[in-house]
Amino acid sequence: MLRIEALTKSFDGFMAVNNARLTVDQGEVVAVIGPNGAGKTTLFHLITGQLAPDSGSIRFQEKEIAAKAPHKICRMGIARSYQVVNLFSRLSVFENVQVAVLARRGKTFNLLRPSRTIAVDETNQILESVGLGGKADRVCGMLSHGEQKVLEIAIALGSRPEMLILDEPTAGMSPEETAQTLALMKRLVAEFELTILFCEHDMAMVFSIADRIMVMQQGQTLVEDTPEAVRSNLLVQEAYLGGGAAPC
Amino acid sequence: MDFASNITAAALFQQVLVGLSRTTILFIVSSGLSLVLGVLRIPNVAHGSLYMIGAFLTYTIAAAVGPGAFGFWIALVLAPLGVALLSFAAERGLFCHLYEREHLMLLLFTFSMTLVFNDLVKLIWGSDYRSFTAPGFLQGSFDVFGLPFPRYNLFLLLIGPLVAFGLWFLTNRTKIGKIARAAAVDREMVGAVGINVSWIFAATFVIGCYLAGLGGALVAPTQNITQGMDHTIIIEAFLIVIIGGLGNIWGALLGALIFGLTDSLGILIWPQFAIVFPYVAVVIVLLFRPKGLLKSTW
Amino acid sequence: MIRALFSAKTLLVAALLLAALILAPQVLPRFYIYLMALVFVTGLLATSLNMVLGFGGMYQFHHAVFYGFGAYALTLLLTKAGMPPVFAYLLAPCCSAALGLLLGLITVRLTKLYFGMLQISLGSLVWALAYRWYSFTGGDDGIHGIPLPDVVYSSTGAYYFSLAVCSVSLLVMYLIVNSPFGRIFQGIRDNPERCRAVGVDVHRHQLAGQAIAAFFAGVAGTLFVTVEGSVFPELMFWTLSLELIIMCLLGGWFVFLGPMLGAAIIVVLRTFVGIYTEYWTLVLGVVLMLLIFFLPEGVLGFALRKAGPAQADPAKE
Repeated sequence: MLRIEALTKSFDGFMAVNNARLTVDQGEVVAVIGPNGAGKTTLFHLITGQLAPDSGSIRFQEKEIAAKAPHKICRMGIARSYQVVNLFSRLSVFENVQVAVLARRGKTFNLLRPSRTIAVDETNQILESVGLGGKADRVCGMLSHGEQKVLEIAIALGSRPEMLILDEPTAGMSPEETAQTLALMKRLVAEFELTILFCEHDMAMVFSIADRIMVMQQGQTLVEDTPEAVRSNLLVQEAYLGGGAAPC
Repeated sequence: MDFASNITAAALFQQVLVGLSRTTILFIVSSGLSLVLGVLRIPNVAHGSLYMIGAFLTYTIAAAVGPGAFGFWIALVLAPLGVALLSFAAERGLFCHLYEREHLMLLLFTFSMTLVFNDLVKLIWGSDYRSFTAPGFLQGSFDVFGLPFPRYNLFLLLIGPLVAFGLWFLTNRTKIGKIARAAAVDREMVGAVGINVSWIFAATFVIGCYLAGLGGALVAPTQNITQGMDHTIIIEAFLIVIIGGLGNIWGALLGALIFGLTDSLGILIWPQFAIVFPYVAVVIVLLFRPKGLLKSTW
Repeated sequence: MIRALFSAKTLLVAALLLAALILAPQVLPRFYIYLMALVFVTGLLATSLNMVLGFGGMYQFHHAVFYGFGAYALTLLLTKAGMPPVFAYLLAPCCSAALGLLLGLITVRLTKLYFGMLQISLGSLVWALAYRWYSFTGGDDGIHGIPLPDVVYSSTGAYYFSLAVCSVSLLVMYLIVNSPFGRIFQGIRDNPERCRAVGVDVHRHQLAGQAIAAFFAGVAGTLFVTVEGSVFPELMFWTLSLELIIMCLLGGWFVFLGPMLGAAIIVVLRTFVGIYTEYWTLVLGVVLMLLIFFLPEGVLGFALRKAGPAQADPAKE
């Protein structure tokens, strides 16, 4: 479904992503792990078009998407959440998701119908399914950090993507919230047949959900394999698991 | 309107020289604007008013000291310093309390300064225009291919590079210049290493405003000093800074060159609508380089 | 459509207010009628600015250009082209919208400050052309004694006409702000990057918003001509644009009717301060400074916050 080859991006000489490769098949849950600064977020920015790569190719459903505009990539079926909470700060929870739903339906140039009457059911369904149904009218800044991270996912779902990219979906969450988010991700895969690509520092979570794992280091793809193979891979242990900074 | 009929090589050369001396004024004013933009990240709308105040102050000081070369030089030194002092008071008294606010608020505050300054000028100097002449050795003109070229413009042509060198020295060779440049890139970082960012901002703001005053002082002998001279210059400075790249002083030089030359050559071609030519140049530049010619600092 | 947007209480208040405004010319002296008409014109203009500034987050620094352009368009269509008034009144705002599109094409690719500064500069070109083109626009004198249709020639006629046009325009703008387009527009204000990530073509929406706002500014321009019977270049001078931003700030720019209130305060203040002193800009400058320091959310925004979020609902958005 997604095939990345020889992808490179540098900032002022610093190779953030260096000759990376990655393959994600339909229906898979793939995790990207690696130490801080390994280039995970840059990789996601490149896939979703926030950044344009220096070289290399990103193919989604057999179409080249490298350096395309973000809104075009989104319309092709890739939605994402952000590592740092990145919401529409003055809008309510409901409106946050509604923006995405309206954008997907192409209703954005409808000038005179009250938006209160459009896409209400679908937006509410999404909010229910992520567990924010009761908080639809809150201004999103009033939510707790964990709820904001969930709202991030809800906005991404509003685009009704085929592939969901989550940048550290459980960062900063309490253990219960992490468990809930994990359950949510599993349900999304089961119910909506979503393909998920995510990165995460919580190793327990990664190993409990990922079908395959890609390990990044200094912008390069170190390993790309099943969880079992990655766990036993010595290279990884050197680079990551045993690298001093103990993962949770 | 029979345009382009009176263009000769000599007239062309003369206009280029006039354009270059116009460039000097434009460069001095817009480099000040650019400096403030680069570090504080605000377009100082009051910049034009400070330029106007600089011109009025030059007139008053020169008149007070008395006619002749001495009064002119004293005015040229003191008037920009007066403007700098005024801006320093405004910055420390009011403006510096707003640095944490949104950009739009800061911009509106500089606008409120414009409103206040302009009416103060009206209050102090009245609505009439003023004019005064440069000292004798800068008056008159000499021949360039048979056409007169004012001596004062030659003086401006000498001042321009001097100011450019001074700015280069200030930003590249002095400690405060280096810190200010670092603050333009990453102010949190500069704050984190224990430098008082607020004072860096103050210094930059005052130097920027000083340049506006200097521009006003230098332009004073060449034109009538009037209410409303602030409006033209601020728009021109905006355009110059945009095509040069926000916050880039050399961009301001380049932009001022483009602006000054297209403006003065435009006068030759189509006097009534000469103003159109610099704008066309700006739009062309932006079509190809939407972020300006040189790298902006942010 | 209306029912979905307004509560019964809001409708009642609006009806009462409208009735009072309709009866006003029977009671008030002519000067006040003129002043109120001026408030409608300026309020409509400030509201149209706020559509892009407060709801779209665009640094629309030179909105007055579209206002003046609409006023000049109407005047020239009536005097030079000899067009029937009905068509001229319809076409003039469209001219403004076209100008909005044209300037937008150049400016909209740039972000915030760049956008605003370039808009000021390009707008100033339009001003300079009107200022110098004596044979066509009357230069710095402007054009006076514009032949207006009889219906709106009297001051009460002009009052009713501007009241009607202003009310309809406000309603339409309110619908737009609350439409899906308006919702997306607010999304772009809050977070353009995220908007792109959910599939919104940000530049196209900003361009459309620009054209719509320019259209309503043009409508306000035609109303100005109706009320004053003349046009002059000051209508598109950049300080007027910044004054409009002050009106939005003063009233509160996250509230739909905020700019209307701000415009009313400024217009009335200017009229009465003008009686006592010629230094109106000084007063305005000080008012703005006080506002920035002590009331950055505006009068209406402040009042609504004090009243509590629950009651803020009907007028908010």
